[in-house]
Amino acid sequence: MNDLIALHNIVKVYPPNVLAVDDVSVSFCKGEIHSIVGENGAGKSTLMKLLYGLVPFDSGRIEFGGVNVRFRKPGDAIAMGIGMVHQEIVLIPQYSVWENVVLGAEPVRTLGRIDSRTAIDAVRSKIEEFQFNLDPLAIVDDISVAARQKVEILKLLFRNVSVLILDEPTAVLTPQEIPQLFAELKRLRDRGHTILFISHRLDEVLELSDRITIMRKGRKVATVEASETNKESLATMMVGRQVIFTSKRTPHQRGELVFEARHVDWERGDGLKLLDDVSFSVHAGEIVGIAGVEGNGQFELVNSIMGLEQPTRGSFLVKGKDITSLSILERRKLISFVPQDRGKMGASLSASILDNAIMTHHRLEKRFSRWHGLVLDYRKARDFVDMLKERFSVQMASRQSDFRSLSGGNQQKVILARELLLATPFFLMDQPTRGLDVGSIEYVHGEILAMREADRAVLLISADLEELFLVADRILVMHRGCIVADLMTEKTTIEEVGAYMLGGRASA
Amino acid sequence: MNVLIGLITGMISGATPILLAALGGTFTFYAGVFNIAMEGMMLMAAFFAVLGSFFFHSWVIGLAFGVLGSLTLALIFILFSVKLETDEFVTGIALNLFALGITTYFLRQIFKVKGVFTSKSIVPVPQLHIPFIEKIPFVGPVLSGRNLIVYIAVIATVFCYYLIFKTRFGLRLRAAGYNADSLDSSGVRTSRIRMQALLLCALFCGLGGAFLSLGYVTLFAENMTAGRGWISLAAIILVDGHPYGIAAISLLFGFFDGLGLFLQNYGVASQFTAMIPYIATLFALYVYAQRRREKKRKRV
Amino acid sequence: MKRRLWSGLVGVVVALAVGALIMLAQGYKPLSTYVALFQFSLGGIGPFTTTLKNSVPLVLTGLSAAVAFASGPVNLGQPGQFVFGALAATLGGLYIRLPAVLEIPLLLLLAIAGGALWSSIAAFLRRAFEMSEFIVTLMLNMIADFFTAWVIAFPLMDRKAFSPMTPQIAKSGWIPDLGLLSSSTLVMLGAVVLVWFVFHRWRAGYEWRMTGQNSVFARLGGCDIHRNFLAVMLVTGALAGLAGGLVVMAGPHRFIKGLGANYAWDGIMIAIMANNSIVGTLVYGVFIAAIQTGALGMELITNVPSEIAQVLQAVLVLIIVVTREYTNVLLDRLLARRQAKERAA
Repeated sequence: MNDLIALHNIVKVYPPNVLAVDDVSVSFCKGEIHSIVGENGAGKSTLMKLLYGLVPFDSGRIEFGGVNVRFRKPGDAIAMGIGMVHQEIVLIPQYSVWENVVLGAEPVRTLGRIDSRTAIDAVRSKIEEFQFNLDPLAIVDDISVAARQKVEILKLLFRNVSVLILDEPTAVLTPQEIPQLFAELKRLRDRGHTILFISHRLDEVLELSDRITIMRKGRKVATVEASETNKESLATMMVGRQVIFTSKRTPHQRGELVFEARHVDWERGDGLKLLDDVSFSVHAGEIVGIAGVEGNGQFELVNSIMGLEQPTRGSFLVKGKDITSLSILERRKLISFVPQDRGKMGASLSASILDNAIMTHHRLEKRFSRWHGLVLDYRKARDFVDMLKERFSVQMASRQSDFRSLSGGNQQKVILARELLLATPFFLMDQPTRGLDVGSIEYVHGEILAMREADRAVLLISADLEELFLVADRILVMHRGCIVADLMTEKTTIEEVGAYMLGGRASA
Repeated sequence: MNVLIGLITGMISGATPILLAALGGTFTFYAGVFNIAMEGMMLMAAFFAVLGSFFFHSWVIGLAFGVLGSLTLALIFILFSVKLETDEFVTGIALNLFALGITTYFLRQIFKVKGVFTSKSIVPVPQLHIPFIEKIPFVGPVLSGRNLIVYIAVIATVFCYYLIFKTRFGLRLRAAGYNADSLDSSGVRTSRIRMQALLLCALFCGLGGAFLSLGYVTLFAENMTAGRGWISLAAIILVDGHPYGIAAISLLFGFFDGLGLFLQNYGVASQFTAMIPYIATLFALYVYAQRRREKKRKRV
Repeated sequence: MKRRLWSGLVGVVVALAVGALIMLAQGYKPLSTYVALFQFSLGGIGPFTTTLKNSVPLVLTGLSAAVAFASGPVNLGQPGQFVFGALAATLGGLYIRLPAVLEIPLLLLLAIAGGALWSSIAAFLRRAFEMSEFIVTLMLNMIADFFTAWVIAFPLMDRKAFSPMTPQIAKSGWIPDLGLLSSSTLVMLGAVVLVWFVFHRWRAGYEWRMTGQNSVFARLGGCDIHRNFLAVMLVTGALAGLAGGLVVMAGPHRFIKGLGANYAWDGIMIAIMANNSIVGTLVYGVFIAAIQTGALGMELITNVPSEIAQVLQAVLVLIIVVTREYTNVLLDRLLARRQAKERAA
């Protein structure tokens, strides 16, 4: 095993004082699959971005093939044979597969005219070489997420990279698509490529890797052989303490019917049904989870329930009241909502914490306004935020600080608190723990279970099957706009749910 | 017959500055730059074209100066928007005001007049008479004898189409607008492409502005672009940037421009005829908005 | 807050330096020019009150732009809303004669209504047909310009005048002076205070601000986006209209050609410099008014053309905005570098 890449004492500070990478030294060999694990915010993504040249580092050095290198932009890294596939797929949806692959390395004829024939042939031969099963002429917007990921990898292989960095690639795949990816990666390793695999999913990492490096809070904890470790010790190293993988859920009797979806259809203009005869119910004191790969109708479902969109057919009822044609404000009297994307939907990052906290309360609670609702009572608003800070232990500099100054976990706390304090019977949550560190995730799960104790009805949409199994009483699976399964958590397995997520029916 | 020919040549003249400015704007549009400084670039070009032509007694130098004037503005835009990452909307508005201020100031300072500067020493860009074509009945007088810049504009339209859709530069240009992160991770610096787009925009706005002061008329008047930069922006948005679509829309606007002048001969107050291009833009925007609604309903 | 002051100050200094360079290149003496500039605008009660009076249209159109930009709608129609407000006030002043105590408020209301009417067209087109108010307001500016030019040249023209303009409005509609201070300044200050309260203390203002920062968040929170959009367009149109009315009533007392001048675009620029802050708009509005007022006097003394004020303004906007964004970036980078050094040590 010869060292291909060696990082020595790398430091990276994000202004004003966040130590993202703290004196890390690690090396990678030729022809290995090396995983880098850590929880959200541990620095694994940042470390790879530093290697790749996307972000400059503040001190330390990098050796490639024994020579000191410093990549100032990704182009430099690619030229040396290092390529990175990001978590968010960055392709041009309007372009075809071949256009995306050759972008930046286009074959040209005279006057800069692109030689499309040569390009398409070259791309096709690469596809065959690596057995990727793609159509070079397909438009990227039309192909599946897994296929797009392959295009990203192909793009790098087209430039003859020998080192591939993959950032959380399985986050967008179903359980059934993952083995195919792993097979492709192992094939590449056998041909002498080096794969750097960033992840926080320990089962996958153990299955795939040769060696594993664990990072925590910006520092390297250890580098171990995959064969010489197990999930528990990895988790302990990742978090720094014993991590319990079992559920804290206790049996709880469910109460009356609170939320109902009845035969909801959502048809696109060209006739495609993004929601197809969706019917389900949620009772008080019950947590219902919805599993499914993103893009199978969850987004449309959430938008329809909240009122951002209107379904083509069908209705939603909360406590017997039909809300399908009510305004968003009317629905908010009955529904609390934690959206998928904190920054885009759940808050205004540039507004103060106070301004964010009183949203919706400012209309629904009379005590916040004076003069028949014309003027806001800021004194009461300030008291409200103080109470919120106390009760939910939010770390904030001041009420007037920008919302974006809060850490991800604290932002989610404020949003969660704001929604919890609306005295509503029904709670809709969409990926509430995305992007949070383990401590915050535990906290959020605790709050969700507390809602259950308090007899509220909770609908939880999540791409994280482990989370659903920890927290939900029932799990529904969405596939192509339909509810294809309604399973009691105790009576099913992750594999079964995964099968439904992919094919809509149980595998043998 | 002469009336019809007059109408058509008026339409071509009215369309040309809008076409050129819009072609320039197309590059920044595709590159993902929110560029609203076309008005300012044209105004700078109009002034400096007169300056060059007047002092050097040559329309060639006038043209060159005009383009240089536009380029100056583009360079400032690049400095602030691309290098210093200032908000593009703000930079555009500030530059438009800067162009207005500085051309008015120099008009006063250099030519010692307020409002309009005109002189027999300004050499206009000549008209091009094509020997065989001008003899063809009906179309001859229209196709031949137009200002040189008009012919340049026509060639430019085809050139821009080729550049944007058939070349490597064009692929990267559109990628910069569609998904800048993707382009960056492909190893091509988006900021560089955007800079090139701005320079190209300046080139075409330079020609458009020079046409205003050395072709359409031969003088410089304070704020003589009169909102044409905004109309060209509207044109780009209405056709999603495609050069041939822009040519069509520009002809439409040119038509309304010419119609306005035509109607004045029939006693319609000049103020109302002057409104016509802007009302036409509103109408075109209405059609565009309706089409977009239809498309949204079908796809979503 | 402190950083905003800093970037503002640095911006002003740099812009003045650039102006000085331009002057030097022309062979003028920058120092004595600037001294004359500020003497004629801020040196004494007389100049200062004149500056304040000149700041009225700037601050009001600036408020219009600031409130609009911070709440979402891209209202660039202040030039058109301004002249329509002025026209409405002129019409009232020509045909309705009441005692001053009633006339003045009436004309102000007409001005407000005129501006709001013009902006409501853009609001309607957006609501009914989804036509971008960005382009619509720009086109409406040109249309308003030509329309009012026609009005003062034909139906409302003063036959005794040499160039297109209306007759003077009734004397009871003239805004009185309180000593050296024009009461239009008082109207402006009143408007500033009222707008501040609405924007920062009223529920409507809270919803406008949240909508401007993140419209999806506001919608999900229960804010009525459409009603707020209409309200903001009407209010900002009204502010620009008020500016127009005040200029007619406190200035030439009639609608003359070129009444709007560049007020509205300057106002937009002021809003940008102030980063849409209401207090900032007031401060920058007075500052720009000082430059413009002083420039006229400066020309008498030093022969530097007053148009240099326009160049200075444009430079000022760019520099202030850049400094504002860059100071933050620079400071953060310095802090980061210091931390990294501590770590490596």
